Amino acid sequence: MAYLDINNVVKHYEEHTALDGVSMQVEQGTIYGLLGPNGAGKSTLIRIINRILAADEGTVLLNGKQMTDADISHIGYLPEERGLYKKMKVGDHIVYLGRLKGMTKADAVASMHWWLDRFDLKEWENKKVENLSKGMQQKVQFIGTVIHRPPLLIFDEPFSGFDPVNAEQLKVEILALRDQGSTILFSTHNMASVEEVCQQITLLNHAKVVLTGSVDEIKQQHKKNIIAVQTPDSIESNSDLFTILPPDPVKKQDTLIKLAPGVKVRDAINWLNEHYRLTGFTEVLPSMNEIFIETVKSKNAENNE
Amino acid sequence: MNKLRLIIAREYMSIVGRKSFIIMTLLLPLLFVVIGAVPVVLAWLNDKGSDTQQIAVIDETGRYAAALHSDDMYSFVAMQGDTMTDARQFYDKANGSIDAVIIIPSNVDSTGVVNIYSEGTITPALASMVKRTLADTIQNAHLASMGIPNLQQMVSEAHIDVDVRSLKWDENGGEQESSTDAAMGLGFLLSFITYMFVLMYGAMIMNSVIEEKTNRIVEVVVSSCRPFQLMLGKIIGVGLVGLTQMAIWIILLAVVGIVAGGALGLTQLGTNAVSPEAMAQASDMGVVQSIMQQVLSINYLPIIVNFVLYFIGGYLLYSSLFAGLGSAVDQPSDSSQFTTPVILIMLIAFYAGIACMENPTGPMAVWCSMIPFTSPVVMMIRLPFGVPGWQLALSLVLLFGTALLIIWLAARIYRRGILHYGQKASFKELFKWMK
Repeated sequence: MAYLDINNVVKHYEEHTALDGVSMQVEQGTIYGLLGPNGAGKSTLIRIINRILAADEGTVLLNGKQMTDADISHIGYLPEERGLYKKMKVGDHIVYLGRLKGMTKADAVASMHWWLDRFDLKEWENKKVENLSKGMQQKVQFIGTVIHRPPLLIFDEPFSGFDPVNAEQLKVEILALRDQGSTILFSTHNMASVEEVCQQITLLNHAKVVLTGSVDEIKQQHKKNIIAVQTPDSIESNSDLFTILPPDPVKKQDTLIKLAPGVKVRDAINWLNEHYRLTGFTEVLPSMNEIFIETVKSKNAENNE
Repeated sequence: MNKLRLIIAREYMSIVGRKSFIIMTLLLPLLFVVIGAVPVVLAWLNDKGSDTQQIAVIDETGRYAAALHSDDMYSFVAMQGDTMTDARQFYDKANGSIDAVIIIPSNVDSTGVVNIYSEGTITPALASMVKRTLADTIQNAHLASMGIPNLQQMVSEAHIDVDVRSLKWDENGGEQESSTDAAMGLGFLLSFITYMFVLMYGAMIMNSVIEEKTNRIVEVVVSSCRPFQLMLGKIIGVGLVGLTQMAIWIILLAVVGIVAGGALGLTQLGTNAVSPEAMAQASDMGVVQSIMQQVLSINYLPIIVNFVLYFIGGYLLYSSLFAGLGSAVDQPSDSSQFTTPVILIMLIAFYAGIACMENPTGPMAVWCSMIPFTSPVVMMIRLPFGVPGWQLALSLVLLFGTALLIIWLAARIYRRGILHYGQKASFKELFKWMK
């Protein structure tokens, strides 16, 4: 049974439909990527899970039960549009957010100290938020999201606004939270981070799910039977087995071959091994970025017909 | 409930903890004191700066000059001579050391005219002082010359001042002294306080809503509580800030009043000698006393209770309007499109209140004290004059009913507005959001 179970959710606005029968199952203790171009409905879905908006149809189950307002204390939410009260002190601010999620004052204070220590922000506790650098404010924001140790975390574009060093630290923290059992829903455009951290993804486009599954499976499904071959020789096309593709602009030394339909990788490699000096080969899997673009483009083309 | 309390506490502390709040709270009354004190200080400087005026007196009758006593302000010097030319010569010879010449003509008993000459201006204070003193003295001399025993006493006993007291019958057939002036003053004060406060704190709420939007904190907060709780928490929190500010002002006023009252009382005792000046002051004191009596004669309890009720109702009505409208804009500079109509309604209410002062029971006053958008201001004008119970009840029901409706509508706008960024919302969109 999925920890977060979204069934057939529909949401209409005055002029358009933001979600049209979206379903999605997130297993406990995994990192789940919610992808999609701008305006696909990601933020609306996330707001529905957070109970900021109400769905017109469909259900959202948490741990097998229909979600209620009481459940929002089990969620930590980092919105894409995020900020802090500039005039509040860092410590007070974190405690305030923790208490809004239902923590007692003592718990919130203890947890705040622990997290400030972890992010090296201890000496900033009594400074006003406005005195912090942008990166430090983002860390405070993150602490405010996780302070109540929620079992479900929702991050909307978590890495935007972070420099690479801080983004790396944030990634480590997110993975640590997953290892401690938190379930993480992750909405982003950053496909590299999706490949690094997500086990499962759902791709939304125009209010509908267009692709869903584990990252590995999806890559296998979308592979184009391309092999990168390392050889000092120059390979000629063999129309029965494969065709030669133009080389990858980054890895120019590799020869890219595309297998003919029905040809197994082993057969092609065996044949090559007999005719050329083969030093190595790798199967080229498409990046999530390519899959994303390809899927969205083909779906848009379908819609236009 | 717990979350609402947290939100109220944060909102309250975020304003009260600000330096600008403390400074404003202390400076505003000071500003009023300064504005009020300027004429007094100027008058005092005027008195202080001028030397004692030298006044020459030519008394052709030879009987009345002695009645003009010298004091700090004026020094009267009786001089001989009995003609205008003498006076002029005397004045010129003095070469500025004489400020004015009073001539009491020999026929003053029949004409009652006394002349004061000077090349400079003759102050009204001098003229009225001379007039008062000589009128009494001449009148007494007339009475004495008639040779009737005890006439003076008889005249003063026969002298009657007619004083008009306005009395109000209450339901039990008893009567109560009422005062139009004090009632008007009190009514104006209360309506002005309501008007100022609602505008000031309404604007404060709107800024607070817009600030949360521009900060982008609002989505973080509403993922922990309902938008309605956030809005209500703001309205209550800012309302409490206002009450705190008022309480500080009342305490300041009380302290200043006690200190000033004490000081005034002491000087009063000190100068209570029989000098004519003190007598004049005593009659001023009589006026002050009668005003005080009028002010004290007003039945305050129902006025205070109703003031608080209307105040809360009006504040809820307008502050939720401001909160709802504030949620629809991203920046304070965009807000005027929505606030202008609201401020206009407030202004209409305020001027309607002033117009109703002339006739607090007229149809305009009654209607405006029923309409919820004007009643918190206009009813304040009517309150000190007494308002029928059924009118109060109906008006309060209308006010609170409308306030609840506006809160509900504002909440519907608010929950959409706070997540609406970018393009400025129009009134049309606001109506859509209400549905």
